[in-house]
Amino acid sequence: MTEPIVVIEHLQKHFGKFQALKDITMTVNAGEVFGFIGPNGAGKSTTIRTLLGILKKSGGSATIFGQDVWHEAVAIHKRLAYVPGDVTLWPNLSGGEAIDLFLRLNDQAHSPRTDALIAKFDLDVRKKARTYSKGNRQKVALIAALSTDADLYIFDEPTSGLDPLMEEVFQQEVLGLKAAGKSVLLSSHILSEVERMCDRIAIIREGTIIETGTLDAMRQLSRTQIRVTTQQPLDAIAALPAVHSFKATGTKATFAVDSEALGDVMRALTPLGITALQSTPPTLEDLFLRYYNQEGGADDATR
Amino acid sequence: MQHAKTGFLLKTALRRDWLKIVLWLLGVVGLMAGAAGKFDTLYGSPKAMATIIETLKTPAMVSLLGPFTAKAPYTVANVYAAEMMVFMGLFVAMMNSYFAVHTTRAEEDTGVAELIRAHAVGRSASLTAASLELVILNLITAVLAALGLQAAGMTGADAAGNWLFGLGLGAFGLMFGAFTLLFAQVADSARGTTLLSYSWLGLLFIARMVTDVTDPKLTWWTIYGWIEKLAIYDQNTWWPVLLMLALTALVGGLALRLGTQRDLGAGLLPQRAGRRTASPFLRGPLGLVARLERTSTIIWLIALLILGATYGSIFGTAGDLMSSNPTMAKLIGTTGVRLANRAIVLAFANKLTVIFVILATIPGLITLFRLNRDEARGSLELVHAKSVSRLRLYASVTGFGLVIALAGLALAIWGMQLAGGAAMGPDALSLSRYMRGFWGYAPALIVTFGVSAVLVGALQRWQSVAWALPAYGFFSLYLGSLLDFPDWAKQLTPYGWVNDVPLKAVDWGQAGWMTALGLGLLVLGYLAYARRDLREN
Ligand SMILES: Nc1ncnc2c1ncn2[C@@H]1O[C@H](COP(=O)(O)OP(=O)(O)O)[C@@H](O)[C@H]1O
Ligand SMILES: [Mg+2]
Repeated sequence: MTEPIVVIEHLQKHFGKFQALKDITMTVNAGEVFGFIGPNGAGKSTTIRTLLGILKKSGGSATIFGQDVWHEAVAIHKRLAYVPGDVTLWPNLSGGEAIDLFLRLNDQAHSPRTDALIAKFDLDVRKKARTYSKGNRQKVALIAALSTDADLYIFDEPTSGLDPLMEEVFQQEVLGLKAAGKSVLLSSHILSEVERMCDRIAIIREGTIIETGTLDAMRQLSRTQIRVTTQQPLDAIAALPAVHSFKATGTKATFAVDSEALGDVMRALTPLGITALQSTPPTLEDLFLRYYNQEGGADDATR
Repeated sequence: MQHAKTGFLLKTALRRDWLKIVLWLLGVVGLMAGAAGKFDTLYGSPKAMATIIETLKTPAMVSLLGPFTAKAPYTVANVYAAEMMVFMGLFVAMMNSYFAVHTTRAEEDTGVAELIRAHAVGRSASLTAASLELVILNLITAVLAALGLQAAGMTGADAAGNWLFGLGLGAFGLMFGAFTLLFAQVADSARGTTLLSYSWLGLLFIARMVTDVTDPKLTWWTIYGWIEKLAIYDQNTWWPVLLMLALTALVGGLALRLGTQRDLGAGLLPQRAGRRTASPFLRGPLGLVARLERTSTIIWLIALLILGATYGSIFGTAGDLMSSNPTMAKLIGTTGVRLANRAIVLAFANKLTVIFVILATIPGLITLFRLNRDEARGSLELVHAKSVSRLRLYASVTGFGLVIALAGLALAIWGMQLAGGAAMGPDALSLSRYMRGFWGYAPALIVTFGVSAVLVGALQRWQSVAWALPAYGFFSLYLGSLLDFPDWAKQLTPYGWVNDVPLKAVDWGQAGWMTALGLGLLVLGYLAYARRDLREN
């Protein structure tokens, strides 16, 4: 199961003087859904376009199926399906024509699955692309990609512009791909989406991958929120090294605990006589915000 | 409330477009004043004057430049008006179409118009601002052209004639601007608008040409011909200017009315439903280009065929030395006349072939530039991500563009031969004779294509510069000999390297190396294209 499909090592990309990608290192394994998250302008799309051989890397290396993404682009693309974040179509082609064209460009044909997807996504394929909303153009690319029989699927913020109903359809389809053993690289800023579907994630910020791993492992690295009421004062707790942002009013307190030290803190709390306890594990959102605030703050300070 | 914020939009538009306006004005006014400054030396002597007037009266020149209607005694200014009026009309009509599309549909296609309309801006404000921009543009053109002519001070030019020329040109341009604004309401995109405007302009131009040669009275019906009826530096007839302005008001008013009634981003022509599935031809990049360029390719090819046939149809009159120069005809005898007639037709056919090849270049380059236009817009991104090599995409786009350009040239020549044969009767020339023009000028087209492809590959931001080749080629070869251009100035474009085919035989050696050069440049363009980033969005 851990056969690597996409291997990126120290990938760099400059646009003139501007360095869009500084150090991207990550691996997508066979059969996993890999989440790629980061704020706008972090370099997600640039990474993906470099993977597609649309942009030429400035340094490092990137391979898909063990082949170089620039030199072997055509061979790689035979086994790959892609949905960009902002789909632009030719105004005078109908949605149906565009879907068929995209399938045929990969030597595939309109199949019953294509029709099923058109029905699921509820797209009027006879309309000219000129009249499509952003969401409808997105659907065209999604239908074409999902009905392509590929080994690797790359989605770049694919649900921007889709309504929640369609977002749900998309998530089911991705889970279907996962069940079928396909690999998926999903860039997104919708964290609930990532949380629900992804096995592993990488967090990118200003052109650098700052964290990679499973969600659980990342949670371990993060802090759990505790809200507690005790019979005796909580002063001793505040002094523990694993406890952060401690706020107390009398015998009520809220604080954050490094997840790996949760047991120790609990042992220290018990003798104080717990009357109420509420613990919240970190959500991806907490993780996300923590990485950004922390590093962003440090960054601002050095500027 | 319909017009709220018109003034603000106008100011914004002028600030956005000022550089383009300056460049166009430099072209128009510089050309007019520059030529006017030169005419006294060109046609100063009575002998040169007599020759040029004889030339201008031949049907061939009438078809290209309009009739020579001035009464003797002739002045240099009469010659100037006859040579420049129709040509400058074409120039300002194109300028107006460009700005009219640019300020209306182009803005809608990119979505800027929607952002603007969402603000506290009247429903008609954008279109009114666009109309006002055109009015200002043409007013400046008119005044500067007149002042330029004043400054040039040609023999025989007076203030009345100079101002009539300037204002007549301004009114003529504005009229075509109004037509384009009208088409902008009817068509559903910038591209469609441009296509309609140029089809209309081409139609009127051809109608003018035919009526000028056959019956100048009918030219009144062609609208384009109004510009000839001004009789500048001769009778200075002012009222056709009023006629132009009246039609402008009518057409512009209609455009404004329709503009308030349609949806933003849509045209009045109904949207037909598209296909549910793609046709079997829409397989690879070649099928895609063909599908995208289908309508405009058909229109261009038919238009070139018609243009060729229309010019060919006047070969009977053009190659009739007996009526155009009876003294000369008597002098050289029957066989001599037949030979001379053929030579005249072939010399005329040379000029026409230059026009055909330059017109045929246009759809070719439009197709070629799609490679970057669609890349920048983002619509090629999904194609780039498919198992389609850059070579295949590049070869499909350049190949299709080159083939339709060459087909357009061949069709125009064929049309010329067909109609020419009918018009010349027993003296008709064979197709292979006319096709010398094809073999001679096709290599020039390929070189232009190659240069453009290098720009597409290596300097995508500058690809529009390639338009200078056909544009300057047209100008230098259409008017260059009349303006006595030096050889080097005519040889700045590949079209100027070719000898006078079909009058002369094809220089196969030159055709060979020019073709090789053009193809080499195409390969060079590919090498640059294959190595660079594709910049989506
Ligand atoms: N063609 C380009 N030229 C110059 N800068 C670019 C280009 N494409 C992207 N960038 C810059 O690179 C950075 C990363 O962009 P992108 O990869 O699109 O971010 P994301 O997809 O994560 O929102 C941004 O700062 C963007 O402005
Ligand atoms: Mg992006």
